[in-house]
Amino acid sequence: MPPTSSDPPLSSGQVGIGWRHLHYAAVLEQRPALDFLEVHSENFFASGGAALSVLEQGRADYPISLHGVGLSLGSAAGLDPWHLNQLARLVERIDPVRVSDHACFARGVLQGRMVHASDLLPIPFTPEALGVLCAHVDQVQTRLRRPMMVENLSAYVTWSLPADEATWAETEFLMRLSQRTGCQLLVDVNNIYVNALNAVRGLPDVDATADALAACRQWLDAIAPECVGEIHLAGHCHVHDALGDIVIDDHGSRVCDAVWHLYRHALDRFGAVPTLVEWDTDIPALDILLDEAGQARRILADCSAQVSA
Amino acid sequence: MSGLAAQQQALLQLLFEWPQKNATDLIAINAVNTWARGLKVYKSNAHMLAERALMAAYPVVSQLLGPESLADLARALWHAYPPERGDLACWGDSLADFLQASAQLQDEPYLSDVARAEWALHRCATEPDRVADPASLALLTTHGPDTLGLVLAPGCAVFSSAWPVVSILGAHLQGTPSLSEAGQALRAAIAQDMVIWRCGWRPEFRQALPGEVAVLTALLEGRSLGQALDTAVALDFSQWFPLAVQTQLVLGVTHEF
Repeated sequence: MPPTSSDPPLSSGQVGIGWRHLHYAAVLEQRPALDFLEVHSENFFASGGAALSVLEQGRADYPISLHGVGLSLGSAAGLDPWHLNQLARLVERIDPVRVSDHACFARGVLQGRMVHASDLLPIPFTPEALGVLCAHVDQVQTRLRRPMMVENLSAYVTWSLPADEATWAETEFLMRLSQRTGCQLLVDVNNIYVNALNAVRGLPDVDATADALAACRQWLDAIAPECVGEIHLAGHCHVHDALGDIVIDDHGSRVCDAVWHLYRHALDRFGAVPTLVEWDTDIPALDILLDEAGQARRILADCSAQVSA
Repeated sequence: MSGLAAQQQALLQLLFEWPQKNATDLIAINAVNTWARGLKVYKSNAHMLAERALMAAYPVVSQLLGPESLADLARALWHAYPPERGDLACWGDSLADFLQASAQLQDEPYLSDVARAEWALHRCATEPDRVADPASLALLTTHGPDTLGLVLAPGCAVFSSAWPVVSILGAHLQGTPSLSEAGQALRAAIAQDMVIWRCGWRPEFRQALPGEVAVLTALLEGRSLGQALDTAVALDFSQWFPLAVQTQLVLGVTHEF
């Protein structure tokens, strides 16, 4: 599908989509105007088979961004050598435009055996956690012989630490990570917003949206532009049940207006960094995802034009 | 243990605790300041992933159990045998043993064999690719079978069951035989041997021919064609070999084995 006349030229900034199983065939057939495709690395760890073949076909037409969800970079139990080997083999095979994972942990010892929680679990923003994270990012970058990017996450539990244990704000923690390892940051704007909404929920007399937006702008302003390598956008949902209200980063809907607003703010600060639109739950028709990517491209073009003027 | 390791272990313990009888105490003991609501997000996500992973790897077991029982099974397996890798496609290999040991499923003894066959099919799909080499078949005319080996398809495996596993899988995945016919075979406790392999990208299975399990087992162990045929006196090679080549169970012949 060629770009329509109303779409800004591709050179105004890179926009990609999360390429999931449901859209494998459609993307290969339609070849939509996108600057890159993002896939979850772990879905292609196999030695062979259909999925890997599809990825190689996609690679022929698009740069591929390998985004991991399972390295467990912040685990005190260390990286899984098997996981790193699989990733290194995939990187060698696909030669991705970017490689990334999250500032989180999932791996640890439970009742004497190593387990992996298959989730993005938060780490405290302490010197000890930073040391572990930096060591593992160094290990990955050395093994892959290329820099990686690390993403901020949405967290649903917070650590209660002893009063005498030093902690940083998340932004300072991430900046230190970038400065010490040379990795770039993958800023997920939706994650920042979800965390901000959850931080103010239940508080009396607050305008949740206004307060969350203010907190997010503050977050974005605390990150040095040169540290940012990519932006992620996605939808979230509000859940109300017997246990209370919570906002969940489910990647299951369109990007909300508040996150688009924050995206503009992020671009004003960071410049026209590559942008990914993710959709992982209740995945819609490809056209809807492309429509979201088109919206990101228009905002990118607006911001680029303002900078040029 | 470092402070960070202790914190992480505490959260993992909370997430994998099942049933949740001690979760509240664990929260207090391990100084994890969390809300029950936030913890439920992680647990719900884990249970959803577990269910999806089992449905992907075990479509027939999933159909046989139905959605509610599958959800219960997925949760139970997740907590009894947590994932060890960051790739969920690797998780679920213990399902067959778990089913076999389940007191609730003692009346369905065939389920564990169905699960074993499905896991072999699941892994078959991701084995390294191999390309057919028809020209190499000419080696059969120039070399003796004791000096030759066969190149088998990716994921090739054989499986002997005391139950009609091939019929059960066929009825649910391919519509052949009918569910009624598979049910009759099950009630009659008909034993079936199964061959699994990958043809192109597609995992395939069928009932083994007489002697086929023996010959494939020997070949998979790295024995020569001649040695393999010696173990499979029941195999009609002239019938089996063309079929095996045509269906890409055999991809070629080699004298480097």
